[in-house]
Amino acid sequence: MFAEFDLVMPGDLDEALDILAEAGGDGDAGILPLAGGTNLVVDLRARRIRADKLVGLGRIAALRGIERSNGRVTIGAGTTLSDILRDPGMVEAAPSLVDSARVFAGQMVRNTATVAGNVCCGSPAADTVPPLLSLDAEVTLAGKGGTRNVPLADFFLGYQEDERRPAELVTKIAWDAPKPKSANLFYKLARRKGDAITVVGVAVTVAVEAGKCTTARIALGAVAPVVKRAREAEALLEGEALTPELIEAAARQAAEDSSPIDDVRASADYRRHSVHALTRRLLSQAWAQVTEGG
Amino acid sequence: MTETESWANVNLRQVGRPLARTDAPGKAAGKTRYAGDYTMPNMLHAKVLRSPEASALLRRIDVSKARALPGVACVLTAADLPDRKASTDIPGQTGKKKLATDQQVLVKERVRYHGEPLALVAAETQAIAEQAAELIDFELEPLPGVYDPFKAMRPGAPVVTAPDNVVGEHKVRKGDIEKGFAEADEIIENTFRTQFIEHAFLEPEVGLAWIDENDVINIRVATQVIEHFRPIAEAVGVPHNKVRILGALVGGGFGGKEDVTVEIYLALLAQATGRPVRLAYTREDSMFGHGKRHPFVITHRTGFTKDGRITAVKVTITADSGAYVFLSPYVLLYATVAAPGPYRVDNVHVDAVAAATNNMFTSAFRGFGAAQACVAHEAQMDEAAKALGIDRMELRRRNFIRTGDKLVTGHPIESAVWADECMTKAWEALGERTPDAGPVKTGRGVATYQQSYGRITWLHDTSEAWVGVEVDGSVVVRSGVTDIGAGQVSALGQIAAELLGVGLDDVTIYNSDSAVTPLAGTTTATRGLYMTGNAVRLAAEAIRGRFLARAAREFGVEPGEVDLAESKAFVTDRPDKSMAFKALVALCASEGVHRSELVMFRAPFTGQIDPETGQGRVHPDYAYGAQAVEVAVDTETGEVTVLKSVGAHDVGQAINPDAVAGQIEGGAAMGQGYALSEELCYEEGRLTTPSFSEYLIPTAMDVPRYQSIILESRSGLGPFGAKGIGEPALTPVAPAIANAVADAIGVRVFDLPITPEKIVMALRRAEAAE
Ligand SMILES: Cc1cc2nc3c(=O)[nH]c(=O)nc-3n(C[C@H](O)[C@H](O)[C@H](O)COP(=O)(O)OP(=O)(O)OC[C@H]3O[C@@H](n4cnc5c(N)ncnc54)[C@H](O)[C@@H]3O)c2cc1C
Repeated sequence: MFAEFDLVMPGDLDEALDILAEAGGDGDAGILPLAGGTNLVVDLRARRIRADKLVGLGRIAALRGIERSNGRVTIGAGTTLSDILRDPGMVEAAPSLVDSARVFAGQMVRNTATVAGNVCCGSPAADTVPPLLSLDAEVTLAGKGGTRNVPLADFFLGYQEDERRPAELVTKIAWDAPKPKSANLFYKLARRKGDAITVVGVAVTVAVEAGKCTTARIALGAVAPVVKRAREAEALLEGEALTPELIEAAARQAAEDSSPIDDVRASADYRRHSVHALTRRLLSQAWAQVTEGG
Repeated sequence: MTETESWANVNLRQVGRPLARTDAPGKAAGKTRYAGDYTMPNMLHAKVLRSPEASALLRRIDVSKARALPGVACVLTAADLPDRKASTDIPGQTGKKKLATDQQVLVKERVRYHGEPLALVAAETQAIAEQAAELIDFELEPLPGVYDPFKAMRPGAPVVTAPDNVVGEHKVRKGDIEKGFAEADEIIENTFRTQFIEHAFLEPEVGLAWIDENDVINIRVATQVIEHFRPIAEAVGVPHNKVRILGALVGGGFGGKEDVTVEIYLALLAQATGRPVRLAYTREDSMFGHGKRHPFVITHRTGFTKDGRITAVKVTITADSGAYVFLSPYVLLYATVAAPGPYRVDNVHVDAVAAATNNMFTSAFRGFGAAQACVAHEAQMDEAAKALGIDRMELRRRNFIRTGDKLVTGHPIESAVWADECMTKAWEALGERTPDAGPVKTGRGVATYQQSYGRITWLHDTSEAWVGVEVDGSVVVRSGVTDIGAGQVSALGQIAAELLGVGLDDVTIYNSDSAVTPLAGTTTATRGLYMTGNAVRLAAEAIRGRFLARAAREFGVEPGEVDLAESKAFVTDRPDKSMAFKALVALCASEGVHRSELVMFRAPFTGQIDPETGQGRVHPDYAYGAQAVEVAVDTETGEVTVLKSVGAHDVGQAINPDAVAGQIEGGAAMGQGYALSEELCYEEGRLTTPSFSEYLIPTAMDVPRYQSIILESRSGLGPFGAKGIGEPALTPVAPAIANAVADAIGVRVFDLPITPEKIVMALRRAEAAE
C-alpha cells in the first residue's frame, strides 16, 4: 500500500534531464520520470517496482500542447487522454487514437494519464500504441547529449524493453495526418465496455488511390510481448483492391502474425480468433469508407 | 423509469410515496460519517498478515523483528491467544449452537485457505503497521489440499472439515418421482455451473475499537449484524454485556458484512494494548476478508407432458463451502427450497450437498442459494420450451404455483403469487425488438423466481423497536436495525410518520447500537422491513390508539371516528373538528398518557423440517417477480451488450417506491455482472483475480437504462402487506440474461459467467456439430 520516494518537480526540461542523469553515466534505475502516475504509482504501491526518486514532469511547459502544421501532428509528452478527446481537430488528425481514447480507462484516469506514459509503460495492452503504430508515429527522445527521433515501429524491443535510455525522456510524439482518401480505425475488445484491460486491440489504416490500396497498416495489441504490426498481412494488401477474399486472407495472416498467451482474461486461442475477426471487420469497414463516395 | 401499480384500495398518506429518504441529505452533502470516518485520540492502526498459501502447515512464525520496530505497539499470533476461537455458525436469537464449526482466530498450525490470518499488528501509523507485517518471518510447508467439492467428498481426500468434508446436506422427497417421470412425454436434463463471486461493496470492511471505563469493548464497525456482539464476546472471553457494537451507515453489504469481519481482531488488539485501534481493509484485504458466493453445480432433470405440464423434477446440487462452514448449510437449504422455481410440482426429489475445500470460504450473498437455483431452473424452462415447441412464457404460465398450492417442502404458499403478472409486464416493457445488425444478433430472455423473505422459521426470529413522541410532538424511533444503503432506516420513519400523522421530517431515528437501541436482528434475508417495519408499526399503532382515544374524548366522538394526518387530529367526516397534533400530545403528556412503546415482533416459529423428506415450513413467506432483458451478441467476438433490462416485482406494498426502484436497478446491475463478467478465480486455492482490474463489475458504460415496475398485491407479512425487494431484485437477472443470450445465438452457455470467449467457443462447437 505504502511506498516512499522523493518527488522533484523540475521547472524545465534541462533541469529534468539533469536530475535523471544525476547518478552519473547513463542514469539510475532508482530515478524515474513521473507523468500521470496511473501506471507508476500503482506499481510502486504494489511493490512491483521500487524508486528512490520520481521526477514529476507536470511543470515542464515544453512538454505541453498539441500542434498541427503542414500535415504533421505533434503532441507533447504531457498530453493526456482527455486532451486528445477535447481537441476538436483530433477526429481528423488521428481517428484511431480518438477511438482508443474513448474506451481508455475511466474519466478520472483519462484526465491524468498521458499518451507518452502509455507508450513508455511497456504494456502490450497499451491502448494508444496500436493507433499510433497504424499512423506511423515517431517518438522524440531527449537526453543530456541531445535529441533523437525513433519510429514507434522500432521503439519496442521486447517485453517491457524499449529504445529509451533511463536518462532520456520522451518529449513528443508526431505523425502525418491521414491522407484524405484513407481510413484509420481502432477497436478494443475487452471483457467489459468500461475501464477494462484490453484482450485484443486492433488498429488499421487503409489508404486508396485509383481503386488500389496504397498503404495498409495493421497493428495488434495484447497478442504478443509488444504491440506490433502484422507486416505480412499488410504486405498482402498493398497494391491491391481489397476484395472480401483478400481481406479474409490478410485477417488470417494477422492472426498468424500474433503470438498471444493464455491469462486470466482470455486464452491464446480466443485472442487469435479475435485478431482474425476484428482485422477482417476493420479492414472491411475501412475499405468501404475509402471506396464509398468516391 | 419506474411504474407503480396497485390493485388494492387503501388510503395511505406517507407510505407508498417517494419521499426524500432520511439518509439522502447527509450522503448528498458528504456529511454522513461511515465507520471508517471515525478516529480517536491515541488511536493505533492495525494490519492483518495473511497466508500466501491455501493449504499448508505453519512451521514457524517469528515476530521479534516486527515487535522491535519503533512505533509497533503489539503483534499477536496464535501463541498469544491459546483458546481463542471464532464461531462461524449463524448468529441469532436462539443462543443454540448447531455444528462444531468454530474457526481459529489466527492460524495455529494448519492453513486452510489463501488469506487465512497469521498475525495481527497494531502500530502508531498505518505505514509502520504494514512495515511490521512485512518483518514477520514465517515458514509454511505446503500440504496437499483439495480444491473441488466433488473431489473433497471422495474417499481419501485431504480432510478440511472432519470427518468427510461434508458440511451441509438437504433432501426433498415429495410425491412419487418414478411415477412423475413415467408420465412425462419429454425429459430434459442439463447441468449448470455458477462461479465464486465477490460482493464488491463500495466500502471495504472497517472498524474502530476502544475499551471504556466500564471495561466494555466498544466497536464502531461497518456491519449488517450488530448482534455479533455475542460471538465476538465469546471469542475474546468476556461476557456478552461487555461488548458493544455501534454501527454507522454502511457502504453496501449484500451479505458480505453478514459474518464477523474485523471485529474480533479489533477487540483482541484493544484488549492487548488498552488503546483505541482502527482496522481498515484495503480492497485487496477485502477480497480475502469475507466469504464469497458459493459456486454451485446443479443438475436438473425435468419431466414434461406434451402440453407442457411439469410431471417431475429431480435436482442435485453440489456447493463449494470453502475452508469454513459459515452459512453454507443455510445457503444450501435456500437453494433446495427454491430448486424447482415458482412452479407447482407434485413429484420432487432434491439432493443437495455442500463440501469443504481449501478454497476461500463461502457464505451469504444476496439471493442466498435461491439465486443459484434460479440460474438453473429458468434456463431449464427455456430449454424445455424449445424442445416442446411451446412459447417460453406460455410454458411458465402453465406451471406457475398458485396461492394455496404446496411448495416443495409441503407447506402451502399463503400470499399472492404474481409471477405471471410481473413476467407479462416486464416483457411488454421491452417494447419493440431491436433488429439484428449483421453478425450482431439480438435476443430476449425472461426469468421468474421464488425468493423467501424473512429468516428460517426455526430460528425463531424476532425484532424490537421503540417509538416515542416528545412533548413538542416530534417523534423518535429507536431500533438496532443497520442501514446498509437500501433506506432501511428511512422506511421505519415513513411507517411511524404514517401512523402518527406527522411528516417524515418530524421523525428522528436512532439505530444500530447494540447497547442502547432495542435489538432488531440482522439486516439480511430480506427481513429488515418485514420484521422491524412490523415492530415499528405495532409500536406506533399502540401510541396512536392512546392518542386517538384521548382526542375522541376531546371531540366527544368514538376513537374510530378520529384520524391523524398533517400534524393534526381530526374527526374523519368533520374536518372542522380538529386540533394540532402538538396540542394533543401536550394534553396527553400533562395527563400521563404513555407516549412511547417498545414492541417485539415475532415471525412464525416452527420446528425443523423432516431431514429425510424436507417436508415442513422453512420460511415465513415468499416474493415473486420477473426480469426481462434484451441483449445484442456479437457472434464474431462474443461480446454481449445489454440493451434493455426490466425488473417487475410484487413487493406487496412499497413503503418508498424510489427506494424500491433503487433496489431493482442495483439488482439489475449486480445480476448483470453475475451473468457476464464477474468471477473470482482460484488456482489450487490461490486467488488469481485479487483486484478490480481482474474482477470486473459492470461500469456505467456497460449498463443500459434500467426500468423498474413495482406491483403491490398487499398480500405480504410485512407492514401494510409488504413483502420485500432486497434479494428478489437480484435473483432473476442473471438467468434472464443467460436466456436472452441463448435466444440470440441459438446455443446455450451452461457456465456462468457467460464471457465473450465462452460464447465464441459455444458457437464454434455448434458449428462443428452441424
Ligand atoms: C484504473 C486504470 C485504468 C486504466 N485503463 C487503461 C486503459 O484502458 N488502457 C491503457 O492502455 N492503459 C490503462 N491504464 C494504464 C495507464 O493509465 C496508462 O498506461 C497511462 O497512459 C499511463 O500514463 P501516465 O501518464 O499515467 O504514466 P506514468 O504512470 O506516470 O508512467 C508510466 C511509465 O512511463 C514512464 N514515463 C512517463 N512519461 C514519460 C516520459 N515523458 N518520458 C519517459 N518516460 C516516461 C514512467 O517512468 C513510467 O515508467 C489504466 C490504469 C488505471 C489505474
